[in-house]
Amino acid sequence: MKFTTTAMALILSASAAWADDKVTIEFAYPYSHLFDVTYEAMMPAFKEAHPNIDVKFRATYESYEDGTNTILREAVSGNLPDVTMQGLNRQQILVEKGIAKSLEPFIAGEADFEKDGYHDAMLSLSTFSDNVHGLPFSVSLPVGYYNMNVLNAAGIEKMPTTWDEVIAACETMNANGVENPIFWGWNITGNWFMQALMWSQDKAIVENGKVTLDSPEALTALEQMQEIFTKCEMQNLEWKAALSSFSAGEIGMMFWSTSALGAVERSQGDFVLKTGPFPGLGETPKGLPAGGNAAMLTSTSEDPAVQEAAWTFLKYITSGDGAAEVAKTTGYMPPNKAANEIILADFYEQNPNKQTAVDQLPLLRDWLAYPGDNGLAITQVIYDSIERIVTGDATDMKELQEELVEEVNDLLPNS
Amino acid sequence: MAVAETHTPVIVSAETAQCRTAWWLTAPALGLMVLILLVPVVIAGILSFTDYSLGNDTFNWVGAKNYERLFSRSTYEKMFIATFTYVVTVVPLSVGLGLGAALLINSLGRIGDLYKTIFFLPVMATLLAMAIAWEFMLHPSIGMVNHTLKMSCGTILEIIPFLKKGCGDRFPLWLGDRDYAIWVICFIGVWQGFGFNMVLYLAGLTGVHRELYHAAEIDGAKSGWERFRLVTWPALGPTTVFVVTISCIRAFQVFDTIEAFWPQGGGPNKSTYVMMFAIFEKGVQQNLIGIGSAITVLFLVFVMFLTLIQRWLVERKVHY
Repeated sequence: MKFTTTAMALILSASAAWADDKVTIEFAYPYSHLFDVTYEAMMPAFKEAHPNIDVKFRATYESYEDGTNTILREAVSGNLPDVTMQGLNRQQILVEKGIAKSLEPFIAGEADFEKDGYHDAMLSLSTFSDNVHGLPFSVSLPVGYYNMNVLNAAGIEKMPTTWDEVIAACETMNANGVENPIFWGWNITGNWFMQALMWSQDKAIVENGKVTLDSPEALTALEQMQEIFTKCEMQNLEWKAALSSFSAGEIGMMFWSTSALGAVERSQGDFVLKTGPFPGLGETPKGLPAGGNAAMLTSTSEDPAVQEAAWTFLKYITSGDGAAEVAKTTGYMPPNKAANEIILADFYEQNPNKQTAVDQLPLLRDWLAYPGDNGLAITQVIYDSIERIVTGDATDMKELQEELVEEVNDLLPNS
Repeated sequence: MAVAETHTPVIVSAETAQCRTAWWLTAPALGLMVLILLVPVVIAGILSFTDYSLGNDTFNWVGAKNYERLFSRSTYEKMFIATFTYVVTVVPLSVGLGLGAALLINSLGRIGDLYKTIFFLPVMATLLAMAIAWEFMLHPSIGMVNHTLKMSCGTILEIIPFLKKGCGDRFPLWLGDRDYAIWVICFIGVWQGFGFNMVLYLAGLTGVHRELYHAAEIDGAKSGWERFRLVTWPALGPTTVFVVTISCIRAFQVFDTIEAFWPQGGGPNKSTYVMMFAIFEKGVQQNLIGIGSAITVLFLVFVMFLTLIQRWLVERKVHY
């Protein structure tokens, strides 16, 4: 608190004394195909509002995994950026290792933080041991993307609400000569869809520091995936290829994060695209993992001016007009009340496809991190196992589950 | 006696001085070699017996556990299968095609230069950039490869079982199919690599003396094949040893295509999970330095083994 006031005082005096003295902060974010447009849209206004802060963009991270790994390496080599965007499921390891700084001292210095639209439910996604370590920037939920032309041509009028209905729709489409009825995003980052099937059954993939892959719910999830992949005769497409196939109008149904909606719409062919809620296992899902990323402060600078500039930038992109750009340019939801309710008041009415995820918000659950240092390796092991279902290499799900549990246990702490 | 006594120490000291100067002169090179080649290898060797994870302050000694895993886990079994399939396919094909192309170009006049440029183009282009072009071409539904194959549907070409199956059902996913993925990678490896071997062979061919061909002809080697078998091939011996070794090492090092096609996971069912990619995935992507180092050490052993074979061959019998 005291530190902040001093910092504030310093900043004020500094900016008063040398008005054109520039502070440079460095920043990096993942998924350039989703977010390039967002930052392009929000940076001019930021520059206008804060002419003395120069934001230097580093090379983008290919994925959340890459982002976390890059930060871990940069922490060792001592060239961390000042602000970084990290996947919600990758914050924990950076907090545990002390790389991401607590934001509490900065928040304490803000007079109307609540009023800026930050509220507890969203901040909780980035709160670790009662300290806010990140400001969520964009939040997503899994949704269904439907090519209504393909669906209608096959005689399907209603969007499916359960996986059984999805499979039935697949079979109808297959019978009507649709080559590529479905793409189910098993290969999305951080085993997100595995966690989605687990949360659908109200089961967390990590409970009390233990990975629950040995639970009956995990088996149900694996079996559900197998049923979808085999009965739908799903092709094993790499996700970027799948997104381009869907945009080209070749895939009937695609289950993916709402985040890609902006990118899909920008490259969409001539067909009617509708989004629908994520189907459940027999009933509506009981929960869904929150995807997306949060801005974290990783500055190692001793200079309070840099720290303050980093905080200013962090706050700008997660609130007000900055946050509203997220919704406008991507399919993500800005986790900011003010942005959602005031600036975007009639935006969702005009963009019903982007509304789908907002409707699912009550189901929002944590995108869980695997315990220990080997989180990235565990993600890969689960990815590999699901891939074996897709390619038809694994047929007995019980056996697969046993192997999976064994391999994951190898990577957990105290194994 | 007295003369000898005064002279001997002078000679010795001159020799030692020379020796010392030699050491002084080689010291920078030696020092650099130790520092940037041997020390990292030794560190990798030491780390391969630990569970060090990047960013941690400490690590535990785990003995040979990392190596044990390398030889017991199915993931690494897939790694060995993928690596050796690639090496065994790409090396003979790229060496054979390189030699063939070199011989053909050598027999051509000026137009040979055009072919030389064409065949050498893929070598000059970075494989990573080429991989992106290939990725577009191999896209299952909007890619050029499958579009071209589809054009054969309904024509006489359909008697070929592969095309018949493709027309009836669908053409392969190429990059998403565990039966095809490794062969696609091999194909691109050969396509990219044989031009380099061609250039090496062209250089080798300039060293074959004309007189040898005349002598062979006088001795009764009339056909082109005979001349190749008796003169060209033996004369290219040293080139071949070099080309094969370089190709092997390059084949062991394949990485760019796999990283470009499957940044996560190393291909469908890890069917293209080659060693270099495994090192990258474990050591760089997942920060598991211990197991990453173990794979690196194994990789070095393979390459060292190849180099030793090359030296042995060079010293033994390929000089004429």
